[in-house]
Amino acid sequence: MASAYPSFHSLNPEPNPKPKPKVLSKPQSFRARFVPLVPRGKGAGIRSELTSLDFFQESTGGGGRLHVPQISPSSHMATSSASLAVVTSVALPPKRPKKNVLLFYCEEMRELAERIVLESDAIELRSISWRKFEDGFPNLFISNAHGIRGQHVAFLASFSSPKVIFEQLSIIYALPRLFISSFTVVLPFFPTGSYERMEDEGDVATAFTLARILSNTPISRGGPTSLVIFDIHALPERFYFGDYVLPCFESGVPLLKNRLQQLSDSENISIAFPDDGAWKRFHKQLQHFPVIICNKVREGNQRFVRLKEGDPRGRHVVIVDDLVQSGGTLIECQKVLAAHGAAKISAYVTHGIFPNQSWERFQYDNGVGPEHGMSNFWITDSCPLTVKEVQNRPPFEVLSLAGSIAAALQV
Amino acid sequence: MEKKAKKQIYLFHCAESEELARKVAEQSDSIQLQSIAWRKFDDGFPNLFINNAHDIRGQHVAFLASFSSPGVIFEQISAIFALPKLFIASFTLVLPFFPTGSFERMEEEGDVATAFTMARILSMIPKSRGGPTSVVIYDIHALQERFYFGDDVLPCFETGIPLLLQRLRQLPDADNITIAFPDDGAWKRFHMQLLNFPMVVCAKVREGDKRIVRIKEGIPEGRHVVIVDDLVQSGGTLIECQKVLTAHGAAKVSAYVTHAVFPKRSWERFVQNNADGSGNQFTYFWITDSCPFTVKEIDNRSPFEVISLASSIADALQI
Repeated sequence: MASAYPSFHSLNPEPNPKPKPKVLSKPQSFRARFVPLVPRGKGAGIRSELTSLDFFQESTGGGGRLHVPQISPSSHMATSSASLAVVTSVALPPKRPKKNVLLFYCEEMRELAERIVLESDAIELRSISWRKFEDGFPNLFISNAHGIRGQHVAFLASFSSPKVIFEQLSIIYALPRLFISSFTVVLPFFPTGSYERMEDEGDVATAFTLARILSNTPISRGGPTSLVIFDIHALPERFYFGDYVLPCFESGVPLLKNRLQQLSDSENISIAFPDDGAWKRFHKQLQHFPVIICNKVREGNQRFVRLKEGDPRGRHVVIVDDLVQSGGTLIECQKVLAAHGAAKISAYVTHGIFPNQSWERFQYDNGVGPEHGMSNFWITDSCPLTVKEVQNRPPFEVLSLAGSIAAALQV
Repeated sequence: MEKKAKKQIYLFHCAESEELARKVAEQSDSIQLQSIAWRKFDDGFPNLFINNAHDIRGQHVAFLASFSSPGVIFEQISAIFALPKLFIASFTLVLPFFPTGSFERMEEEGDVATAFTMARILSMIPKSRGGPTSVVIYDIHALQERFYFGDDVLPCFETGIPLLLQRLRQLPDADNITIAFPDDGAWKRFHMQLLNFPMVVCAKVREGDKRIVRIKEGIPEGRHVVIVDDLVQSGGTLIECQKVLTAHGAAKVSAYVTHAVFPKRSWERFVQNNADGSGNQFTYFWITDSCPFTVKEIDNRSPFEVISLASSIADALQI
């Protein structure tokens, strides 16, 4: 059976070839008895030696038992070690069974919902009847409401415009009260987030309004509703939510990293941030790439994008941000990067908002220079209306959140 | 006895209620009109600015709302949630027409009561220094909907009937009026306010596949019958009632509804001297200005007559 636990080399490689003890990181749920060894250099902590490990999982498929042959202290420890604890049997943490989740969704998210269901046997699609009364107000019906009792339920929402909020909110407020065992709202893109600028008393923070409305989701039997949001614009917005929801902030950047690994020039990639805000949001997830940071500088009445740090010369530069609206900032960055010698320029945003078809400004470079266009423009499917428009249009490529959402539903 | 000093009220309003807000402000020196900049960002989300936010500190503030369609709810709610937190002395939300109220039929598990969603959203209005927000609503459709509101708001249920009574008194045949109710629901809602009139109550009865309006009690013969209900949608019920009343000898038939919802221009079937010869069934059709878009469209075309809620709202703001 494959080893469930990786072996770690000690962090300080010793010059003389003493047999290196294998170090296991100690998971909290282990009930093994370990005697802490005298720490050696860096990477101290609890170490033990377990050599030939035989372990197998019980056929019940719950946890496994790790059977370890008795190790006598004299066999192969180095001089400085204390006596080794003898571990006879250790219980592995039980493999957490997957939650069966019933997934409802708003119409505009139908495609993404269908993809999510393909990612996992444990997720089942359910439907709602979205009709309207004559006066335009919603006439909604949740099919098979009795059948969801005692089940984990999720709703995939999309607030692409103010007018679709009320009908989805009615569902969000209704589902938790149908005796379900837990409720999760997946709202990949949290709109209004980029407008929150309380500069004047009189500015109305609509992000706060939206957070308030969501925070009032009734509690289900499973307690507060989980609210899954991808790449929320302003990190402090997490504090806008009341105690009756559990915000769960995810990111689309892992999808980008996967995609970058597949590129033929994956060794030549640099990440560029259009401003400090983007750097703050994302640099930790992109640490192993060379970094370029831009910023906006005022010159008289105008504002220009300048290179603040980093060197794009000869590199395939990928501009990373959470969202794009008019695209003006990205285009300015592209110009500056091209002027400083970038070989190719691509962009990634989690949320392709692109109001008023602004995606049209983004041309494909067709293998010509980066001044003429981008090689790739990656967006996720958080904004379904845009996805419909750009899906087969280079440079656009859609990276689906389906896998990430399917995993988040298991939290 | 000392006359209670009138509260100074700063009255904000949504864009579609501007005319009604003006009329309310005209009713009293103590009501002052204020403004909000209702702009939109490129992606359609609201970009709002409350003008003179500093000046309203310590003042009684009100907001005249109108949820004529789901699309306008979010921008108005944003203003409604923001105003109480600007150090005002008290906050009153005037929402003359509470939509979704007539859809609330929890017949099956799975029916989604949007009235409850609406009440929940309003119940979230933050408290101001004056405590819970007062929410003024006219002729709410279902009486039990008063219980949908949480404790952080104070629902204040008003009615347009006194305005109707005033108008009826002015009619030349004021002593020949009978009130008719299209169903028991309307009777329950209104009969207590109309006790000095003879009454007729109609009912919908099933005959095979069809549903027909019949007179359950009362005598319309020779009378000017005024059908009273809280709202009108397609107008089908009113037309059926009118036919039955006329068949039973009513001399004239008029109607009053507080809320002229009339989706998809359904008011057109009531307009007198229609090209197709319909219309002309109603002598008067009184509506209030709770639904501003419809009121604009109808534009006082006969038989419609708009009775403004302005004076009633101005009084309610003094509560």
